[in-house]
Amino acid sequence: MVAVELDGVGKTYGDEVAVEALDLTVADGEILGVVGPSGCGKTTTLRTIAGFETPTAGRVRFADEDVTHVPPERRNVGLVFQSYALFDNMSVLANVAFGPKMQGVEKAERRDRAMELLELLDIAELADRAPETLSGGQQQRVGLARALAIEPNILLLDEPMTGLDAKLKDRLRREIGSLLDELGVTALYVTHDQEEAMAMCDRIAVLNDGRLEQVGTPREIYESPANEFVAGFVGSANLLDAQLDDGTVDLGFARLDAVADDTSGDATVVVRPDDIVTLLSRHRTDARAFEAFQAPPREEASS
Amino acid sequence: MTTLRTPRSLGKTAVTLVTGLVLAVLVVPIALTFVSSFAQSATGVVPTGFVTFEHWRTALGLTDVGARRGIGSGLWFSVLLATGGMVVNLVVGVPIAYALTRYEFRGREWLNTLAVLPLVPGIILGIAFLRTYPDNAGTAFGLVVGYALLKSPYMVLTVQSAFQSMDLRQLEESARSLGASWPRTFVTVIVPNARGGILAGSIITWTLAAAEFNFTYMVYTRGPKPFSLFLYENISRAPFLQSAAAISMYFCLVVAAILVLQTVGRHGFTTT
Repeated sequence: MVAVELDGVGKTYGDEVAVEALDLTVADGEILGVVGPSGCGKTTTLRTIAGFETPTAGRVRFADEDVTHVPPERRNVGLVFQSYALFDNMSVLANVAFGPKMQGVEKAERRDRAMELLELLDIAELADRAPETLSGGQQQRVGLARALAIEPNILLLDEPMTGLDAKLKDRLRREIGSLLDELGVTALYVTHDQEEAMAMCDRIAVLNDGRLEQVGTPREIYESPANEFVAGFVGSANLLDAQLDDGTVDLGFARLDAVADDTSGDATVVVRPDDIVTLLSRHRTDARAFEAFQAPPREEASS
Repeated sequence: MTTLRTPRSLGKTAVTLVTGLVLAVLVVPIALTFVSSFAQSATGVVPTGFVTFEHWRTALGLTDVGARRGIGSGLWFSVLLATGGMVVNLVVGVPIAYALTRYEFRGREWLNTLAVLPLVPGIILGIAFLRTYPDNAGTAFGLVVGYALLKSPYMVLTVQSAFQSMDLRQLEESARSLGASWPRTFVTVIVPNARGGILAGSIITWTLAAAEFNFTYMVYTRGPKPFSLFLYENISRAPFLQSAAAISMYFCLVVAAILVLQTVGRHGFTTT
């Protein structure tokens, strides 16, 4: 089932195009990563789903309901920011209970719900503390608990790990990943860190310059990049110019069998570092460059 | 070999000394004035003849002499005027400070300038008021509006700096995504998080309005006498000890106002 659907969504500011004709769906219970260089439109996409930006073209749907013009407070969307944005005028518990309170949940019940989430995130002992006295990792957990407390239609995470140190990031990433899976939460995970997206997301959308370049599982994106941009942005890659002709790929220094043989012309061959196997040759002096290609390249992208 | 004192601890000592000296210079005259106001005579260096409330009674208008020059009901009148000015500043100044910090809009620079513009001498505003509203300038309403206008930059600038230290957009968006409408977000999240600045702004605008002399002197015509005029009369025309009582009264008033505002600030913003 589709939880969120962007149908031809576009957003322009004056002459500046932030997002162009974007079609994207997030399935129920799925974690969709949105990656791309800064200024590619990923934050605009997130804010459009949250309702803080009204698209200049296209529709936004939650399940089958058109929410394009529904204000943010009535979309039931959880937001987690890089800067945590906790309410310092309230205790940790009150922060988490804030959403249910706005929904009109009774005091005892919203307290229970908040406590339950704090326990789930392993920070129950911080319930009465003031947010500003917590560490970055703890604050991020509170932020997550607060967003989950409203049982959101979709959880939007905007670079949630960027401010944390590498070791903590790694731990939190694993914990949050399994928690979201366990709770069956639908999430959109915006990050500039493609490695993070690979580790956490079920599918990844690669954005560049306001356009969707490719969407697919981490494996598809890595192994079958749709174009040079995706190949270069996700993981490291060697991009080689080649001629595609009659079922063979001519690299200039070597000829290989093409995966698809129905096209011809200029092509770019993507070689992942882990595709390269160096052979211990007994005739090292005779070793030729093309010996490096043990496995055939998995995809050619016509340019 | 003796160890030399490090420059750091030397600096600390110096800072402590200077702070102490400045405090002494500021506090001693105030304390002395306060103590003197309860003395019968202060002809020498040390006031003598404690304890009498005569000067306070005179200043408050409870004696025959004081009936002419004392403050009497004017004291409460002044408290109300300053509070009125402060409330107007809270209601108008806080949203202006918010808008200036949070939004980019046409005329933002103009509004910014306009908010700081009233930082003109009270005497000029007084003349302007008298010229424009000859009938209303001296009324309680005129005084409240005048105080609010004169002191508004202190509120706007103080609150603005509090807002600038917060991530307004993300706070606001978090609250709204959790289901709070914009007005509710403003009242339950934005304002309480800026309470330090709002409190400081309130204290500054209140105390300055309570003591605003130039404007009051220009526009005042009738009715209960505002506190600043009473201070002026008691300081310029009364014997020293009576002035001391009047000045002490002002200090008591300011301390009381600060205590009240701080208590409100600490307990008035709690949301559960």
